[in-house]
Amino acid sequence: MDLAKYAALFVSESREHLQSCNQLLLAWERDPEATAPVDGLFRAVHSLKGMAATMGFTPLAELAHRAENLLDAVRGGKLAVKPEHFELLFRSVDELEDGVARATTGKGLRPEAASLVKALDAAVRISEKPAEPARSGKAGKPGKTGESAAKLEKAEKAEKAAAKDERPSLDVKITVRSDALLRGARALLALRKAEALGVVSRVTPQVSELEREDFDGKLAFRVKTAAAPSEVDAVIRSAGDIAGVAIDLASDEQTVDATALRQIRIDLARLDALMKLAGELVVARNRLVELARGSTDPELGQLGERISRLVGSVQSEVLEARLTPVREVFDRFPRVVRDLARDLGRQVRLEVEGGDIELDRAVLDEVADPLVHLVRNAIDHGIEPPRDRVKAGKPAEGRLRLSASRERNSVAIRVADDGRGIDRSKILAKAKAEGLVDAAAEFLADDQLLRILSRSGFSTAAVISGVSGRGVGVDVVMTRIRQLGGAVELVSEPGQGTAFVLRVPLTLAIVRSLLVQVGSERYVVPLNYVSETIEFSATPVTALGDREALVIREQPAPTVHLYRLLSVEGAATTGRRPVLVVQVGERRSALVVDALLGQQEIVVEPFDAPRGMPGWFSGATILADGAPALILDAAALV
Amino acid sequence: MGHTVLVCDDAIFMRTMIADILAAAGYEVIGEAETGAQAVQKYRELKPDLVTMDIVMPDMGGIDAVREICKDDPDAKVLMCSAMGQQALVVEAIQAGAKDFVVKPFQPSRVLEAVQRVLG
Repeated sequence: MDLAKYAALFVSESREHLQSCNQLLLAWERDPEATAPVDGLFRAVHSLKGMAATMGFTPLAELAHRAENLLDAVRGGKLAVKPEHFELLFRSVDELEDGVARATTGKGLRPEAASLVKALDAAVRISEKPAEPARSGKAGKPGKTGESAAKLEKAEKAEKAAAKDERPSLDVKITVRSDALLRGARALLALRKAEALGVVSRVTPQVSELEREDFDGKLAFRVKTAAAPSEVDAVIRSAGDIAGVAIDLASDEQTVDATALRQIRIDLARLDALMKLAGELVVARNRLVELARGSTDPELGQLGERISRLVGSVQSEVLEARLTPVREVFDRFPRVVRDLARDLGRQVRLEVEGGDIELDRAVLDEVADPLVHLVRNAIDHGIEPPRDRVKAGKPAEGRLRLSASRERNSVAIRVADDGRGIDRSKILAKAKAEGLVDAAAEFLADDQLLRILSRSGFSTAAVISGVSGRGVGVDVVMTRIRQLGGAVELVSEPGQGTAFVLRVPLTLAIVRSLLVQVGSERYVVPLNYVSETIEFSATPVTALGDREALVIREQPAPTVHLYRLLSVEGAATTGRRPVLVVQVGERRSALVVDALLGQQEIVVEPFDAPRGMPGWFSGATILADGAPALILDAAALV
Repeated sequence: MGHTVLVCDDAIFMRTMIADILAAAGYEVIGEAETGAQAVQKYRELKPDLVTMDIVMPDMGGIDAVREICKDDPDAKVLMCSAMGQQALVVEAIQAGAKDFVVKPFQPSRVLEAVQRVLG
């Protein structure tokens, strides 16, 4: 069997298991009496061990095995779980995570893993002492190691056998005699007998239900076995008190599961490729529609429309397939927050909301790092040490809220803490010293604050900690989110806390946009951020501070004359001109252009801005007529 | 020679009764234990072919004893002796490695059937 082709699956599934391990460990640490997390952990680590052994990643399987031993000792009540055990298990999960990544590149575990294995073994050995008073530590040790190695070998063999199992599947239904005592336990015995024959799955009812007194004596399961049905029948009946056994060759697995959601795993690169093709299809369609418009052939027009609809469907299907719940990223944070809070001596309760909100996979991947930055900042700089909080009349435990919500064509992700808030006077002083604000300024509004904080290298942290305060925080967040065509917002109240809102588009690849003309140039503005279009001369001109502004819906919005901003020659500078009202969060501005050329779906192309180019653009695109155009960054314009 | 049996129960009455049933059928009772810890220790010493194990015993219950015994010897043949209404415990015992069970009050024929099944 060629194992290489299972490597990707191994990695993705292992990661899922390890992700869930982190969640379970956190739940368990919160409530050490709970048994569900331990059982879940045991199963996850056990699965990982089996997979690793099947793949031939022996050191990885060995480490998983040691962690499993510890879990088993706790689960079996032989070991009372202590804080150091949680640490060991967290470390094990980290090491396993690392090991999974290394294993696929042909590397073993890091050298540090050896001490971890020793620590795990030591923890388990302590648990065995009271149960084995007769055995001295010296005599017990080699026996134990030999035994666990033998067990591992056995498990490995079983997993290997299951992986290349081509034995037929049998659907088995058994009935326990109605006069039998403890019918559930009897059914379980029958199940155990079947397990000796092969791999058992789809057990209904679940084993836990067999403990119930009202169990009706009927048990069904599937067994993958080389044994003949008659043999299976005999083995099951040997459990005793069995009234009947019905065995059928399993029909095609998929038809059996017709009601269940059928899923397959797809390499993300495939979806990327498909997305790119769908994008190119959109561009081609746009050109076709333009051509058809200029033609007198009615058939061409009809065909153009049909293709247009089809391309639309393809595009939305691909988009749909790429949507991923933000939970995938949110789920990392309980662990991140726990570790940070511990390292920094904070008490933090993390609240997560909106994990079901979906985003394009690529957007989600890009959002993950900025979120980590913000969460780190919140714990390091926002939430105060418990003593300070109590002194300030707040609960010792700080609150960190991570939430996602859907807003039209974008998703807003919020990171909010109830900490000390950003120290405006300190930032103001530093900003003045660096000449970023007027020396006479007395106050920084939230948007000014954000603009200053997001200047590359700006940091006021007195001490550079390992966590944040290197001056790479907000600027990195800002840059990444802007590149996505998104926007960042900041609200900070002294003593009350700080909230960052990241607004990102649902998808990166295809953006509904407005095409505008300024002079002889054409630019693209994402429709996401255009709240309305009005006419320049019809709207009263006023002033906002020292800036020209338009009164729009009774509120002034500063004007941006694109020809001036972008130094475009030959643009109209007087008279009636269209205005786009661009709105990002609460902030608006009135974008004055020469003409509106209509809506278009554009495909965003990767864009490396030349050095020295002003930061007004978030990307580039190819228009329907084949000409390139730049995409205006709405967030930079408000 | 008959198979050897270790009988574990905290009540002398039950131990005697089980021993009598088994002896009458030709099995050799080679040891008795009244706690789970004793059961584990005697299992190691005596290596019996079969263990009958009460569930509720002082100083390590029967389920933990099964777990310990099966850890040393996964092929250990342990027959649980349970009372009515202990389904959940019996299920747990089976998951811990017990091979079969009988329910008190005992009918000799039922006990012997179970023993034969386990010794297969």
